[in-house]
Parts: sequence; structure tokens; C-alpha cells
Amino acid sequence: MLVQLEDLRKEFGKVRALAGVSFKVEAGEWIAIMGPSGSGKTTLINILGGLDTPTAGQAIVDGVDVARLDESGLTRFRAQKIGFIFQQFHLVPYLTAVENVMLAQYFHSTTDEKEAQLALERVGLGDRIEHLPGALSGGEQQRVAVARALINHPKLILADEPTGNLDEANEETVIQLFRELHIEGHTILMVTHDPAIGNLADRRIEFAHGRLVKITPPHDASRNAYR
Amino acid sequence: MFWRLLWKLLRGSAGRLVVAILALVSCAMVVSALLNLEFDIERKLTQEFRTLGANLLISPRNAQITGSSPAEVMSESEVSAAIQSLRDPNVVAAAPFLYLVGSAQNTPVVIAGTNLEELPKLEPAWRIEGEWQPSQAQQNACLVGRNVAEQLKLAVGSSLKLTYLKKNVQLKADGIIDAGGAEDNQVFLELAEVQDLAGLPGQISFAQLSVSGTTAAISHYAERLASTLPAYEVKPIRQITEAEGDLLGRIRLLIVSMIVLISVLTALCVLGTMAALAMERRQDVGLMKALGGSIGHIVTLFMAEVGVLGAAGGLIGAILGLELSRWMGQRVFGQAISARWEIFPCTIILMVAIALAGALPLRLLGKVKPAIIFRGP
Amino acid sequence: MFGRLVKESLVRNPRRKLLTAAALVVGMAVATSTLSIALEVGDRLAREFRSLGANLLVTPQSDTLPVEIGGVDYRPVNEGAYLSEADLGKLKTIFWRHNVLGFTPFLDVPISIQQSENTAPARTMLIGTWNAKEVPVPDGTTFKTGVSVTHPWWKIRGRWFRDGAKECVIGAALAQTMTGIVLGKVIYVRNETAGDSAQDRSTRAKGTPLEVVGIVSTDDAEDKAVLAPLEIAQDISAHPGKFRQLFVSALTKPADAFSERDPLKMTPTEYDRWFCSPYISSIAFQIKTVLPGTEVRAIRRVADTEGNILSRVGTLLWIVTLTALIAAALAVAATSATTVLERRGEVGVMKALGATNTLVAGIFLAEQLLLAMAGASLGFVLGALLARSLGSSIFGTPASPRLILFPMVLGLAAIVAFTGSLIPLRRAAHFNPAPILRGE
Repeated sequence: MLVQLEDLRKEFGKVRALAGVSFKVEAGEWIAIMGPSGSGKTTLINILGGLDTPTAGQAIVDGVDVARLDESGLTRFRAQKIGFIFQQFHLVPYLTAVENVMLAQYFHSTTDEKEAQLALERVGLGDRIEHLPGALSGGEQQRVAVARALINHPKLILADEPTGNLDEANEETVIQLFRELHIEGHTILMVTHDPAIGNLADRRIEFAHGRLVKITPPHDASRNAYR
Repeated sequence: MFWRLLWKLLRGSAGRLVVAILALVSCAMVVSALLNLEFDIERKLTQEFRTLGANLLISPRNAQITGSSPAEVMSESEVSAAIQSLRDPNVVAAAPFLYLVGSAQNTPVVIAGTNLEELPKLEPAWRIEGEWQPSQAQQNACLVGRNVAEQLKLAVGSSLKLTYLKKNVQLKADGIIDAGGAEDNQVFLELAEVQDLAGLPGQISFAQLSVSGTTAAISHYAERLASTLPAYEVKPIRQITEAEGDLLGRIRLLIVSMIVLISVLTALCVLGTMAALAMERRQDVGLMKALGGSIGHIVTLFMAEVGVLGAAGGLIGAILGLELSRWMGQRVFGQAISARWEIFPCTIILMVAIALAGALPLRLLGKVKPAIIFRGP
Repeated sequence: MFGRLVKESLVRNPRRKLLTAAALVVGMAVATSTLSIALEVGDRLAREFRSLGANLLVTPQSDTLPVEIGGVDYRPVNEGAYLSEADLGKLKTIFWRHNVLGFTPFLDVPISIQQSENTAPARTMLIGTWNAKEVPVPDGTTFKTGVSVTHPWWKIRGRWFRDGAKECVIGAALAQTMTGIVLGKVIYVRNETAGDSAQDRSTRAKGTPLEVVGIVSTDDAEDKAVLAPLEIAQDISAHPGKFRQLFVSALTKPADAFSERDPLKMTPTEYDRWFCSPYISSIAFQIKTVLPGTEVRAIRRVADTEGNILSRVGTLLWIVTLTALIAAALAVAATSATTVLERRGEVGVMKALGATNTLVAGIFLAEQLLLAMAGASLGFVLGALLARSLGSSIFGTPASPRLILFPMVLGLAAIVAFTGSLIPLRRAAHFNPAPILRGE
């Protein structure tokens, strides 16, 4: 079991973002986290990714209780175990594609430009290595972000609406990438609004008002639509 | 990777950095120009004060009131030897004086024997009419005060006969002095002539010096000189030295205060600019933290960026500032102020310090949780 | 609506505004304080320079040659020309009367002094002058003046003589050579070169008694003389109401090529300009006009030094001020530019909502100008306080704030904030709002 949440709570002052969430994730699963905005999805992802700390409860990722980690512990955790993919890509605008990937290497251990180049080739951007984000389309930028997320061989991939800012064509390319990652055995937790994407996942976890309200396996028909 | 990152960081936000550099350069320029000025100002000002004339007097002790002949005299050679032996570069001029009351055209007139070449250096404020050059002091040359010239109807080039007791001497008025004081009523000749007239070879009434420097420096020199001339009195001329000391002090205080004021305030401006720059980096800081960058790592990176900016601004500013101070010296004193190389390290270090101080908010950013950054406004 | 938009813009995100405002306050404080000092300093320093003593000398025009060594005139009293003491009040009626800080007449008489009937007489000089004389001025007021103004470096042990009293002070060197001279002792003075009239003979016989009330130290020829009220000297020399030379201490403006020209050769406009400037030549001219039969000359070593240094320090201060102003302006412009750049997001939103470039620019500029006004006002107060305390510590008395600077500083701040914001705003005008809104 890779991820185990036990009665996880998060409060921002009077606002209860998470009101006691418990579930488990096996290694290699693709989980879709869905629900209306304000339901706590992003908060959950942030906690799992070590970007935020819970108010109460346990969040064990690869044997480490994230809730118990201090600042530097969280930093190490993020560098070693997590690959984050954001809706807004968040590439550093003045670094090239390969440098953006190397940035993640830099904070982990040492940089290896060759390896970074290979990672970019893996996501189909072998000919865009020296491009700045400004010269890449939305989809290409997100793919760089994926390469960046993967470079340190993380245990867990966290994606927050990864196709939210993309047009249809680019969306397809990126989702295809995720499908490949899934087949390769990566564990993916993805926040999404799109039910079609949700159906691609192994399980769908639905949130409302900071609580887990439904866990469903995907609908077979939709899954086939994306073949 | 660190240097690559640093370089990209600097190149990447060139637009906004130009603005920060501008603030740094202008501050550095002002500070370095003023600092360079400050080092030189005392010397330049004390030189200006020498227009006041003689400020040190060597005289016999307890001299009685002078009547028509000098009651007390000193040895000329002793005094000049003492001055020579000290060889102080701050002595702008030194001249001996021997006074008699003689007559010309049956009018009593004060005759002063001195070193005519030193006289204009001793009293630069005196206006001397006539194309008289001190270096070409010929025999029988004399300078007459303007009242003397008026009374005796003398012009430049007129001949003049002076009488003392039974002796006469024939002279040519090579120049007319306008001093606005007792000297306007006197006639100046070469010392040897007057010693001859008075029958006092090698004797003088007193000696006057013009010494450049602060009140303390002048007193110190007076003490040293006094120790070599125990028989005589060596005193600063109070009217001059007191006022000069006080004025010099006030002017220096004024300039130093202006310098400190301006430097502190421009530094504060720069501080603001750097803080604004630091704020801009928040997004990048958040991202790097999300990627697993440690606080130490990130803060070092951005502090290095700020430090480089400070150093660059300091260097450019120092170069401009030295040029500025050179120009200022020319406009104000008519002579260039020498550039001191110490200004460079001083300014650069100062600007780096200011830049780092301004970027201090970055350290606080180290504490901020990355999630908050992404939540956005 | 525009006003509302500006207000909304101003009120949002106060922290960022704080930075611009801070830079403005500090920058304008620099401007105010340096300008205040530059304006004030000329006057203040000129006043300080009066510690050098008199800068003008007034003597009779048609005179015989003074036999002067070290400022003491050894001529017999019956020789040479005199000036009238009664005329001196007119010095406070000239155009530049407020610049005439003081004046002192001198009358020197060769005397012999005796401590008592039986002691040997010593020959010396009596210098008649004023210490703290109340001079009647034609407009009905009196003006107090004397050696303390024209010869401030003279130091007195004991006290100075009172106006018109039978008192005197003895020069330090003379006091040393005369044994038995103490404060309170009475000495008898006699005119050494008096004539043979009955009055002269009787004065000579008795001698005028003067009480020694102080010992003066001047470091010059006066140290070997006796100083007494002018009346005493006039009495002894039998020249009532007269004096030989007058020292004047006046506040002047540094001389330049213009001031040294011959007034008779000036055009009426030039003459007016010269007359109405406190040049030493102009003040000398005005004194000569009210005191007929006099020669008025600048005491070169004092006047020239003062002029040189004042003009140099003045130039220096103005240059320094200018540099400071430029630096402050640059820093303020920089901060303005930075904050405008930061807010590209807002610009994007406004444009996406359909605002024209002009409107966007208008809102930002209005906001920056308002900030500039507020910052400049606070900066002005701060700068004025700084200049005041600086003036206090250097010159002893605080400078009065120059209110004329306020609109100048406001104007400067406005211009600088305006130009600083303009460049980034022009670039902002070309922003494509879409990528900004997408959050890139």
C-alpha cells in the first residue's frame, strides 16, 4: 500500500477544507479525484505532496507520515518521492525545457543533462530541448512538466487538473502520456473535472464539502472511448 | 547548475532588473562622488583660507611699543634657518620684516623691508597694480601702498627717494598695493636695503608665515618651530586662525552632514527597489520549494542574484561617481579632485550590503509554505 | 466612475503601494532637505564669516599719510584729517542698512602713563574706541555696536570700559611690562604731543585718571597700548567728536566680474541690479554717499577670502543638491516602474473587460500621482525637519522652513512618478491579456 489516509483533517481558520478523510491507494493505481470546487480536492493533493500540513490525522505515503514531517523533512520528501504536475504548468519562464527538467534534478541531488534530454525525448519533445516555455504550446509545456515530474523517479505522481488549460488536441496528447505512465506502473493521483478522464482511472474518488462521498470503479464504456 | 541558474535568473528578468540596476547605479554614483569629494575637501578648503594671509608670527619676546626705530630685533639667519630645518610642506610662504619710520618728500612714511618675492605668496589677497613679477625683483625695486602713491603722487614706474636719519636710497615704484589696511600706507623694499638704511645688518623686527591646515595642525607646527627658536615667541595670529578653525569646522560638518544625509536616503530608496524585486521572486521561490528545493538552496540563489546586482551597480556607479567628482572639483575649485582607488571597494561593498539588506524579505519568504503561493490572489 | 476605479485601484493590495510610497517619501525627503540647506547655507555661512571681523575700512579722503604699523597710527594728533562721530548714525540709513552688522571708530593718541606721581612715566598709545555704544540713528532708534562686532577675536579679562566712563583696558603685553598693574588700579594718562595752550598745559600737568577695568589680548599692536572710550581720546587730544578711521562689518554677497565694474559706467538697469545686491563694492559705495569726505575700501584679505570660500561652498552645495535630486528622482522612477510592472495582471484583466489603453493608463497614472502627492507631502515634512536639525547642529540656530519648497517638491514628485510609470505603462498597453488571464 503506497498511500494511506486516516481521518485526515485540514482547517483554515473556521473553514473546514477536509473534514476527516480516510482511504488507501495501492502502488500502480490511477486514482481520479473529483468533485465541485471548494470540496477539498486541491487541499488533499497539496497535503499528499507535502506542500501543506494537515491539522489532524495521518497521511502515510510510502511508509512516511507526511503529517509528522518538519520543514526540511517535507523538502526531502517532495524532492525524492513526489512528482507534481500543475494545471498552470509553472515552468520557469527564463529556463529552457531541458533546464526546467534539470531544475528538479538540481533540488534532488545532482544534475545530469543527458538524462534530462532523454526524459524530454520520452515525452516526445526531443526536438524542443533548448526552447523556452514561451516558444512552446500549452500541451508542450505540460509535457515538459511531466518530464520534470518524472525525472527523479518519484513514488507518487500528483496531477492537479493537468489538462485544464489545454485545448482538445493537446489534451489528448497529454492524456495519452498519462495512460502510458499508468501502463508503466506509476501511481497517479489526478484531480479532474472531466468525467471522461475520470473514467480512465482505476478508481474515482468523489469529494464534497471536505468529505469523501463516493468511491467508484470506472464505467467500462467510457474507458473504451479513449482507446 | 548553480551558476547556470544564476546566470539565467539575471538574464531572464532583464527588464525588471534594469530598473533595479538603475537605482543601484544612481545611489552608488552619488555616494562614491561624495566620498571622493570628502577625502579632498579639507585640503582644498584650507588652501582657500590662505587668502587670509599670514597666520603665524615669530617675534622677539616682550617687544616694547615701536617708536621711530625698532626697539627689539631678532636674528634673520636664525629664524630662516629654523624654518628651513623643519621643511614643512604646509608652509605656503614665509617672509621676514624690518620696520622703520623714514621720510619721503618730507613726509614721514613707514618703510618695511622684506622678501619681495615671498610677499605676494604671503598675502595673496593684496592687489598689486603694475606688471610687477616677483621673480624679476631687481635692485632698487619697491612696492608702495596706494595711499602712499596718492599722497606722493606716484605711479607705476615713478622714482622715489627714501630717507632714514642721514641716509638716502633711490628706488623705483614697480607696483602699487591695494590691501585695505595698514599696508596701504607703507613702502616695501628688499630687506637688505632696509637693514643697510637702519644700520642693522642681519636683523629683523619679526617674521610672518602662511601655514596651510587645520587649527590643530598649525598649532602643532608652531610648537615644533618654537622649540627650535627658544629665544623668540612663535604664535598663531589669533584673528586668522580662530576664525579659520571655526569656519573650517562648520563647513566640513555641513558637507559631511550632506553626504551622510544623501547617502542614507538614497540607500533607503535602493532598499525599497530591492525589496520590490524580492517580492517578484515569490512565484519562483514557491515553485522551487514545490520541486523539493531546500530553503538554504533557494535563499542562497536569490541572495547571490541580489549580490551580483549590488556589485555590478556598485562598480558602474563608482566609475561614474569618480568622473562626477572630477567634474565637481573642476567646477568648484578650478582644479580636478584626484580619484582615490579606495572608493571602488568601498562603494561596491556598500552597494552589495544595501542590496542584500533590501532583499532581506526573501529570507522571510523562505518560511512561506509553497501551497499558499499557488493559491494565488 | 473614473474616480471610483481609481479609488478601487488605490485601495487594493496596500502592501505593494507601501513600497512606492516609501520610496517617494524618502526620495522627496532627500530633495527637500538638500534644497533647504542649499538655499539657507549661503546666508548662514556669510554670517559665520563675520567672525573674521570687519571687511570695510573708512578713512578721511584728504588725509596726510598715516604712520601706521600693525593698525596703530603713530601720527601726532594735530596732523592729518578727521571724521565726525555724529555722522555715524547714518550708516544705518543706507539701502543695505540691515547688512551693516557693526562699525567701530578709532582715534589713536600718543600718551605717557603714570601709576602715581612718583613713578616713572611710560610712553605708549591710547586707542579711543567703542565697546558697546548706543549710536543714535536718524529714524529715532539706537544701534548698539563696538569692537565686539568688528574685532570679535579680542579677548578681555575683567570687563570692557563703559561708554563715556573714565575707565580703560590695558593691552596684555603692556600689562606684563608694567609692574603693579591690577584690575581696579587707577593710571594717569597724558597727551605726549599736546600743544602749548593753557588747557593743554593743565591737562598735561595733572593727567587724566582712568581706572583699569580689564586686560585685553589681541595678538597685535593693541596689546602694547591702552584702550579707552572714544570720548577720553577725543578729550585728551582736544578733538571733540572726531575719529580717524572706522571699521565696518557687513554681510556681503560674493563678488564677481559684474560687481567689480565701475558703477559710473553702468546702464541704469545694471546700476539698479548692482545697487540692490549686497556686493561689498555696492555697500562701500552707499557708505561713501552718507559719509561725505571719506574713502571706503574693502579689507582685501577678509573680503576676498570670504567671497572665494562662500562662492565655492555655494557652488559645491548646489552641485551636490542637483546630484542628490537626480539620484532621488531615479530611485523613485525605478520604484514606480517596478510596481507598475508587477501589476500586469490587473492590466490584463481590465483590458479583457474592454478597457481602452488610455483608460488603463489613466487609472494607473492617477493612482501614481495621488501616491506621489501623499508621499511627497510626508517627505517634505521629514526633509524640513532634517534640514532644521542639521541647521541647528551646524549653525546653532535652526533654519526656518521654506514653504516655497513645498509646491516645488510636489511638482518634482509628480513629474518623476509620472515619467517612471509611463514607460512600463506603454509596454503594458501592448500586453495580450489572454496569457495573463490564463495565469502564465
